[in-house]
Amino acid sequence: MGEPLFFSAQWADAVCGALTAGPSKEHRDGKLPEYWDYFELVKSAYPASWALGCRDLPAALGKCPAYLTVRWGGGSVTECQITGPDDPLDATYVLGMDYDGWRALHDGYDAQRTVMYRKILLEEGNLLEFFTTIYFFVECLAVIGTVPARRPT
Amino acid sequence: MRLLAHAVLTARCEIQGGALVAERKSPTAVLREGPRALSEAQVREIEEADLGSVGGVDIDDVIEYVHKDLKSLPDFITLYRKYLKQRWDVYDLDFTQDKIDWTEKMSEEERQSFIAVSSGFHHGERQVEIELPVFMIGASEEEKLHIAAQIEDEARHTVFFDRFYREVVGLAGDGIMDILDASFPWVSETFVGPFGLLAYQADEVRRNPYDERARVRYGTNYFLWIEGVLALSVMKVTLSYARWRGFLPAYYAGFTATCRDESRHVQGGMRYLQDAVRKDPSMISEIHDTLRTILSLSGVASRRIYFEPLGWTEQEVQTLFFQQLRRKLNDVGIDLPPDLEVLLEQVEPTLAGG
Repeated sequence: MGEPLFFSAQWADAVCGALTAGPSKEHRDGKLPEYWDYFELVKSAYPASWALGCRDLPAALGKCPAYLTVRWGGGSVTECQITGPDDPLDATYVLGMDYDGWRALHDGYDAQRTVMYRKILLEEGNLLEFFTTIYFFVECLAVIGTVPARRPT
Repeated sequence: MRLLAHAVLTARCEIQGGALVAERKSPTAVLREGPRALSEAQVREIEEADLGSVGGVDIDDVIEYVHKDLKSLPDFITLYRKYLKQRWDVYDLDFTQDKIDWTEKMSEEERQSFIAVSSGFHHGERQVEIELPVFMIGASEEEKLHIAAQIEDEARHTVFFDRFYREVVGLAGDGIMDILDASFPWVSETFVGPFGLLAYQADEVRRNPYDERARVRYGTNYFLWIEGVLALSVMKVTLSYARWRGFLPAYYAGFTATCRDESRHVQGGMRYLQDAVRKDPSMISEIHDTLRTILSLSGVASRRIYFEPLGWTEQEVQTLFFQQLRRKLNDVGIDLPPDLEVLLEQVEPTLAGG
């Protein structure tokens, strides 16, 4: 079976599985165990949801802006789906990124710099609250970037 | 590693050219000495030193100089006039001896420890350069001059590190971003805490440049935490090492001049925050909320940095952070609510014997 199309329902399912599994062992081995303890602590009680938007999704992938909505509860992902411009947007934090930024993340660009260089930006939600768990968010963004997908050439 | 640091710490005197030179303070001596007054001659030496003589200035005196005017903060025109007198040409530095020290005199442990610290600066200087312009939009006319000068300072500091990494460390690349890319593997994952927050705060200010509450939150992170606490503390770690060991003379001169530039930035930033709270006392809650977020992140580490080859322990560096934070808050007159005091005590290490 081929890779799911980027920003498709199948890709969102794969993202759900990847976030549930968490960062790979190889990725974890490069950082302190205490850092991952902190990650797991945040994950276990994370009450919020993200709508991660693509502002200029190519027409071949759907209407834009499209959002990958990720909802957390009880230490796991309770919802992970693609919502389109015609769907109601219901998330604690709405973030947006251009397709180029998504493509770069998917090609291995660093998630920390994706945030720091403002490729992905917070569009709605309390900024200071969002940043109290920023390391958790960045690690999850890195996981999302590793989920295989087909993109139009 | 600890033994190496101990050996270095106990080597207080040395012979240079056959003469016994004065005993150099250990890098961490300042933690135990506490605040002290600078003489008029010391202040004059710091303020008037050019790039050729700033290498003779003690970094502890420059950091003390940052605090000298915090209780009666200078106005923005005074800071701008100081900038015009104190600006320096980053291309006048000659890194030839630094290259020899780096490759022939410093141990691998020292190099790795040094680069783990300095890479945060390499990226930090770039970040504070590019995130500052939006803050100018909502500033007073006088403060705009100071911010314009500060942007130029930060650009110069970015070039300083670009040159250091190319000419001393030996990283290769065509443009400034190539060198940033090459040093990024040494940057800790937790760097995104304060600097990612700054990027997003800059975007918040970009969207609403006259939102004073957003500006105060931005100023708390940028001027109080990043420049006043993180930068001044970590600057001291590499500079006190270089001075104590007699290594990296161009790095010491350029980065000590950078520290003097930072004194104007911190004083201007504290002036801005103080004025904002005086105009509207409810602004203090924006400072507290920002510190609450920053402090909740500051106890998390993703990798261990071995400061020992530079004469420090991780706990001593943390202690320096919180000494710097407490001094800024006290000097500018910002009180913390009980919950923030508790949070600060939880993350603030105590220095045994300090």
